[in-house]
Amino acid sequence: MIAVGAAALAWLGTSLVVSSDGRRGLAAGTAIVTLGMAILALESSGIVAASAIAIGGGVAAARRLASGAVGWDILPPGSTPRLVLCIAAAILAFWVAAGVASGPGAPLRFSVMLVIGLAGARVLASGDTPVLLTAAALLALAVGLGAGLSLDPTTLWPYVAGGLVAAVVVWLPPRSVRAA
Amino acid sequence: MQPEAAELIVVAAAALAFAVVFAPPSSPRRALLVKGSAGLVGAAAIAAVPTIDLSLLVLLALGALHAAIAGTRSFAVRLRAPVVAVALIGLGVVLVRVAAPDVLARFGAVGLAAGIAAGIGLLPYLHPIEPDEPLTASPVAWLAFLGPVFAAVMVSRAQALLPVDAGAAFGGILIGLGILNMAWGGIASWATENEVAAWRYSFVADWGLALCGFGLTVADGRRAALLVLFSIVIGRLPLYVASRPAIREKNVTRRPLNLVVAAALAGSAPFVGFGARILLLRAATQLFWPLALVLAAGMLLWLPGSLRLGRSLAMPRGRQAFGVALVLAVNVAAGLYPLPLLMAARL
Repeated sequence: MIAVGAAALAWLGTSLVVSSDGRRGLAAGTAIVTLGMAILALESSGIVAASAIAIGGGVAAARRLASGAVGWDILPPGSTPRLVLCIAAAILAFWVAAGVASGPGAPLRFSVMLVIGLAGARVLASGDTPVLLTAAALLALAVGLGAGLSLDPTTLWPYVAGGLVAAVVVWLPPRSVRAA
Repeated sequence: MQPEAAELIVVAAAALAFAVVFAPPSSPRRALLVKGSAGLVGAAAIAAVPTIDLSLLVLLALGALHAAIAGTRSFAVRLRAPVVAVALIGLGVVLVRVAAPDVLARFGAVGLAAGIAAGIGLLPYLHPIEPDEPLTASPVAWLAFLGPVFAAVMVSRAQALLPVDAGAAFGGILIGLGILNMAWGGIASWATENEVAAWRYSFVADWGLALCGFGLTVADGRRAALLVLFSIVIGRLPLYVASRPAIREKNVTRRPLNLVVAAALAGSAPFVGFGARILLLRAATQLFWPLALVLAAGMLLWLPGSLRLGRSLAMPRGRQAFGVALVLAVNVAAGLYPLPLLMAARL
């Protein structure tokens, strides 16, 4: 039951990141996803994995709170497709994780697929650097968490690396366009 | 580390050394060396880490760092490709790992193949290119420097991960993508107006051969893929670096040297591309002979584009002329006697 709640948190947080453009919305979304993923990591691989995810996601959320467009900016005008995407992706991920696939760990499968899919979609749909870096951080956390589905779910390196990449990638400077 | 990837890292290091030593005088050598070395370390890390998850995370970090290099394309445009690659491969890995009917693993194979194409910058996910962008920030860095190691590692890890049925589907998808890229790249490198874009499409066409080689699940296919990647990193990339000043000055010449360069780019004998093509045709004949006919027809598409690219090199002088001669000599040596390359990769 706790894992199901954690998966719901992952969906809620990712949906917040997908549907927000402001720094508070993005930071809150990152923090909620991190909480959900850390619980799932605790259940599948133990305290070290959960700590790595929590620290990486926590740093990413804190950094996002400090930079980016001011405010929450949740569901700005024209964001209906994002809302539809969040709901449709959740239905599809739920069907694959709980209906098509079998065995224990459905909340973990659901969360990993959902966060990877929505973070990838967010990157494709936005040109705003803070949004892109937030989505990249979520992707790193989800890829790290996905190691829980491998043959050896106790290996901790992917969690540590995922947390590290998530914590570092959000600090990249939002520059780079230079006249030729 | 997989021997094939280790060999490609060494070859990429040689290409970096070439670029630094033989770069035009106006190029910032120090920046090229620093950024190239960082890329090389990233590529080595992709190959050295023990699991596909860690390779993906290294790729994500490398992609974000590359997007942050100053260039003419926006940060968003440059970050998209590696992030999409990581997302597609990540989804593919999840679908393969879960206990589910075979069809889900086949969907996973689609994600893995599409992610590999996105990461390198091939159809159906070509990276936008700007003619004036520095080499280190341009998509060519993925196509010709980081891409070969990334592809060799990912294909190998994907094949180890996939069950038999999905593995066959993965090979089929790679061959399909390979033929698509071969045809598109061959025609576009001939027909496009911009010389830099023509060079980019020629890389794409070469990658088409490499993907076909990876997809053909016989030893000759893998050998062909390795030789094609070698020719990209140690042949096409240095020649592209040498041709950049002439392209900028819109300088075109029709001397014998340009014809020899065109022959090297087209993969004619005795250059290394010829051996790769023979091995590829042999592999295709072993598996399904009509495929060899399609590949042979596709290989003819290299000719017009290569003649154009050969002319775009103009007439190199001084140190650059020596560099071009060195590249051609290495490509001839590898074409005449590729066995050491194949043995080093244990193929």
